Amino acid sequence: MNKTFIVAKNEFMKRVKTKWFIFTTLLGPIVLVGFFTVIGFVSASAIEGGESTIVVLDETDRIAENLSDPEGDMTFTVSDADEETLRQQVLDGEYNGYLVLPAGLITGDEGARYYSTEGGGVSSFNFDLRSIIRNTVRQLRLEDQNVPSEVFEIINAGVSLDTIKLSEEGEEQGSSAAYAIVGGIMGFLIYLTMLIYGSVVMQGVIQEKMNRVVEVIVSSVRPFDLLMGKVLGIGAMGLVQMTFWAGLIAAGTLGSGAIISLFIDPANMDLPDTATQAEVLDAVGFQVPELGPEVFIFFVIYFLLGYLLYSTLFAGIGSAVEQQQDAQSLMVPVMMPIIISIVFLQAVIEAPNSGLSVALSLIPFTAPIPMVVRVAMIDVPLWQMAASLSLLIGTFVGAVWVSSRIYRVGILSYGKKPSLKEIIKWMRYA
Amino acid sequence: MHTLQVQGVTKQYEKVLAVNNVSFEAQPGRILGLLGPNGAGKTTSIRMITYITIPDSGQILFGGQKVSPKSQEIMGYLPEERGLYKKMKVGEQLMYFAELKGMPKSEARDAIKYWLDRMGALDWVSKETNELSKGMQQKIQFIATILHDPKLLILDEPFGGLDPINSDLLQDVILELKDSGRTILFASHRMEQVEQLCDDICLVSRGEIVVNGALNEVKKRYGKNTVMIDFEGSDAFLDPLEAAGDVRVNVRSTRHAEIRLLNDTPSKKVLQAALEHVSDITRFELVEPPMREIFVTAVTEQQGEQALEPQTEGGAA
Repeated sequence: MNKTFIVAKNEFMKRVKTKWFIFTTLLGPIVLVGFFTVIGFVSASAIEGGESTIVVLDETDRIAENLSDPEGDMTFTVSDADEETLRQQVLDGEYNGYLVLPAGLITGDEGARYYSTEGGGVSSFNFDLRSIIRNTVRQLRLEDQNVPSEVFEIINAGVSLDTIKLSEEGEEQGSSAAYAIVGGIMGFLIYLTMLIYGSVVMQGVIQEKMNRVVEVIVSSVRPFDLLMGKVLGIGAMGLVQMTFWAGLIAAGTLGSGAIISLFIDPANMDLPDTATQAEVLDAVGFQVPELGPEVFIFFVIYFLLGYLLYSTLFAGIGSAVEQQQDAQSLMVPVMMPIIISIVFLQAVIEAPNSGLSVALSLIPFTAPIPMVVRVAMIDVPLWQMAASLSLLIGTFVGAVWVSSRIYRVGILSYGKKPSLKEIIKWMRYA
Repeated sequence: MHTLQVQGVTKQYEKVLAVNNVSFEAQPGRILGLLGPNGAGKTTSIRMITYITIPDSGQILFGGQKVSPKSQEIMGYLPEERGLYKKMKVGEQLMYFAELKGMPKSEARDAIKYWLDRMGALDWVSKETNELSKGMQQKIQFIATILHDPKLLILDEPFGGLDPINSDLLQDVILELKDSGRTILFASHRMEQVEQLCDDICLVSRGEIVVNGALNEVKKRYGKNTVMIDFEGSDAFLDPLEAAGDVRVNVRSTRHAEIRLLNDTPSKKVLQAALEHVSDITRFELVEPPMREIFVTAVTEQQGEQALEPQTEGGAA
């Protein structure tokens, strides 16, 4: 244990002093926030799709003049030209597309047709266009029946849905969207750090073996102590970083209201420009989430256990090879569960209580990411928490046993890259 | 006392019998040369002595105690394949190695200073290892091996890569440690160094001991059957002697030859043949075979025997 501590201290100190560590600790959150912001902007602009001009061939002579886009992205021009001319104009790029409104549209006997070089597909543009036409046609239909315009306004009045989280302690005001965002960020952080710190451990093992330092070290320390020292030392480094980041997330959550309101234009919410931040947030149904300290405690615990489990396995793999590239094929089976849990991240966020979510958060190899998401979003039943933790700890102990047996043979084996079968054989050596 | 006893030790990897029932002893105040061709089982033996691996059967005692994590703290091992942490500073690195050997920090600090000074390396204390030349790294690694004042020293090719001046410096330190009662295991392929330094030798081949004992006794066992001859002129006289099967020429250079007498050939016969052909003889001496010759003879004899057996055994490093 004493030697383990010396190794851990050395691993910790020599990494914490590096520029890399200081840089990633301080800049990690900025990069992460930047990353999500870019994704947000890119997907937002992809959805909006920019401005387009549409030429309309209106056989009813009533609809075209009433068409208008409340968001102002679409401009409609009425034309008397025949379809063949319009077709050519669209192909030449004069218009984004042409819209044919047949005479039977108002009575519902015929449908509108939109021709463009981009074709159909599921885009918000098609959705918006359809809704503009529908609204105009409906209004005309009502007018034809002499229904007062007030009725139309009543029909069109917005209907809102508030989602409120129900828990043992009572109702919580926070919107589940906010919890989902926090949970998603936490799950993603665990994913990143398990991979990054895990590969730091693996690299360390490979380097020690490549440098041949390892032979001197194991003449002073048992391989098991060396392995544990490495894993714990690098884990301590990770813990420092994660605690710092967890603090930032906590602070960020408290300040999230201010951040969200920056991205929202009050005009879009039918609010005056002078609306206060609270009014804006209220309008979008966002409330600052109230996260208990247990969310952050479980975040750190699951990070630690996930890291310990995977870094131990990565260390075992690292000991078997002499070069980083040789490790790739051996890493695939170990990486699968991590990838599975990140692939299902969305599904867990959407339904944190589903059978899939519960199963993923119980299976030790996939547990850390979905469980953290669930803890942030809902009250996870105690039995699930206990089962997940004990399975994870048990699996970690098993991983240590397997890896240390591979490790003590691997670090002294040079030459041909071993196959998985050979590595399994090593475990049976005395 | 700190005697190293290797008793009937066997270690097998898969189908390879790396070490087969090997027994030998290394005494304090003496240097034991651990010799053998590549893959003879030297490294496997050393790893068992240093408790890096554990024998399948047999036991290894140091100072009467079975080797253990505890005995590791009084051993120093310089492996043939050198390695230091590239990015760590010399001083920090030595401190880490000393701490792993269970040395208190303050003691380690003094020892690091003493040895860096002794090896003329005090200026490098805050340099990263990858800034140092190969020879300098070698010296640092040697310091790491002896820093904690080990009772047993295991040196595998300690002179590799050192210039003559540094070789002498290292040799002085090794002899000094020997005189102060350390037990030293010296593994090398450089037979002239073995002859200079070793008191005892243990020659292994294919996992078995083929020659074992005090160096001078081993030499005596092989008898005075080697002729050293220095001469001027043509060395053509050697060819008919060799063709007749009277001698085997071990070393043949422009003015020097080492000849092993076979089948009780008298040395006079070589001298006569030489006198007829060469223009002058500056040295003619009948000596015990050099270590190199003993090595080659013993190994070829043993491997010749085994070559007849089915080749299930190979060498392991």
